[in-house]
Amino acid sequence: MTQPDIVLRTYGLSKRYGKRLALDRLDLEVQRGRVFGFLGPNGAGKTTAISLVLGLLRPTAGHAELFGLDSRTRLPEALRRVGAVVEGLAYYPLLSARENLRVWAALYGDSAERRIDEVIELVGLTARARDKVRTYSQGMKQRLGLAAALLHDPELLVLDEPTNGLDPAGMREFRELIRDLCQSGKTVFVSSHLLNEVQQMCDDVAIVKEGRLLMQGQVTDLLRRGEALEMQVTDTSGAARVLKAIDWVRGVTQQDGRLTVEAPRERAAELSRALAEQQIYLSELRPREGNLEDFFLEVTGESDADA
Amino acid sequence: MPTLRLLSAELLKIRKRWLPYILFLVMVGGAAIIIWLGGFAEYHSSDAEYRPTGLHTMALPWSLVALLDSGQFWGSFLIGVLVASGVATEYNWGTARQAVARGETRSQYLTVKLLGLAAVSAVALLAALAAGVLFSLLATSIAGEPITFDARGGPSVAEIPLIVLRGGYGVLPYALLAFCLTVVSRSTAMGVAGLLVFLVGEAILIGILGELGGPAPAIRASLVGHNVGALQAANAIGFTEYNSIAFRELPVASELPDPTTAFIVVNAYCALFLGVAYYVFRRRDLGVESGGG
Repeated sequence: MTQPDIVLRTYGLSKRYGKRLALDRLDLEVQRGRVFGFLGPNGAGKTTAISLVLGLLRPTAGHAELFGLDSRTRLPEALRRVGAVVEGLAYYPLLSARENLRVWAALYGDSAERRIDEVIELVGLTARARDKVRTYSQGMKQRLGLAAALLHDPELLVLDEPTNGLDPAGMREFRELIRDLCQSGKTVFVSSHLLNEVQQMCDDVAIVKEGRLLMQGQVTDLLRRGEALEMQVTDTSGAARVLKAIDWVRGVTQQDGRLTVEAPRERAAELSRALAEQQIYLSELRPREGNLEDFFLEVTGESDADA
Repeated sequence: MPTLRLLSAELLKIRKRWLPYILFLVMVGGAAIIIWLGGFAEYHSSDAEYRPTGLHTMALPWSLVALLDSGQFWGSFLIGVLVASGVATEYNWGTARQAVARGETRSQYLTVKLLGLAAVSAVALLAALAAGVLFSLLATSIAGEPITFDARGGPSVAEIPLIVLRGGYGVLPYALLAFCLTVVSRSTAMGVAGLLVFLVGEAILIGILGELGGPAPAIRASLVGHNVGALQAANAIGFTEYNSIAFRELPVASELPDPTTAFIVVNAYCALFLGVAYYVFRRRDLGVESGGG
């Protein structure tokens, strides 16, 4: 039997707390073998959506499917194929990391029990594995959470703000680990408000704000949309007029005597030729990379960068 | 997901906490008070009138009844503390949420927790009872009285398992009440305070209702404490001369329902407390913001 290509799908998933609509008809699709970034400002509904998928919250409307299994009827069965780290890390502070993992392994069986040492090593906790978890730093607790999520070798990892508390080196290691897991065939669903992290780590992204899905797509497509060419020319106003007339140029802005042209980088030569034909010459041309932050701000209308 | 493996993990969690050990020491302390202060000291009092009562409290087999009577009341409270703490801390640590997110069904989660707490509670109560028996043997020996189970008017050896079961069964509804209150409130303090208020309040109410006419006796007969009292009275029938540090009147057998009726009523309360706890937990949101962990 072939595995479905969509490992997680939500259908109009909604959650209301009294008068507040925390999540409004969320329709998501997460494909097998991809790293899926779930982006949104704090309070956008990311943790609510994850909690609904994991059966921690009861939806007001809608439902989810995991591996093609309907969450309304077969959730526990589906969840045994999922490894999750939900916001608000959970662990037994009086137990060591190894004992914590023993407790969680009991849910899955002998194979998980045998993997305890392996996952402890994978997340770099071997030296402290026998210490009580209450003595751990936040970063170490995050690592333990990840180890617990990996314990039963799940097909889908659901990670809610997984890099909270990690230092820059830890975040880099984490990104590498996620990429490795993805290459080994796992699907990773990761929520974050850190745009740079998602940009570096994810294949696909969805953006939510105030409980509503604003967009969903591939990261490379989104970045391409943010590509631009920055140029300095002999006649700024004339160049702007010429460039705006070209149909595949998406936008032209002037600032401090420079032009920013939203156009594919590979068509820079055509732009140069069009300007030269009007006796306008380039003195500087520099490609500008698209980035998720700009796209996020555009989509959400947020003014501050801390998405 | 075999329940035995989950139960083993549950026992690991409980074993690593300090609270069960503290509560066990308190239970042993209570047993010591019964035997040494309630029995041995009274036996050696200058007033000869109290010597038989002291002997019945101090010496086997009667001391078992005294230990179980007081142990049922105070044990209920101490086991309630253990249960409330065991349930509420999993909310506070967020581990209840984590278990559900890993595919453990909510009913399975509660059942395993109940079984784990029940196993630890049973061991603690029996060990405290054993300590009480040891004190009893020591006290009897020091007093120079014969150590025997073959006492005229006392329970036979064959009856001992039954009276221990009755004592233990008197703890069950209160432990389940603490369980229910804690599941509903998600708070150790609410579970313990609720249980304490119920234990003391019900004891007072039973006393008041016993003095009134009209529907009062029927109401009293439906209260859990009255029926638990009947089970304890069944233990004491024929040998009621003992000291108790339970917060209730010494059971008067003639006013109590028969043990079978009491057993049924206690079962009904247990089912009610369990039913409410499971119903609430199965329907509850376990979000961070809802205090689910």
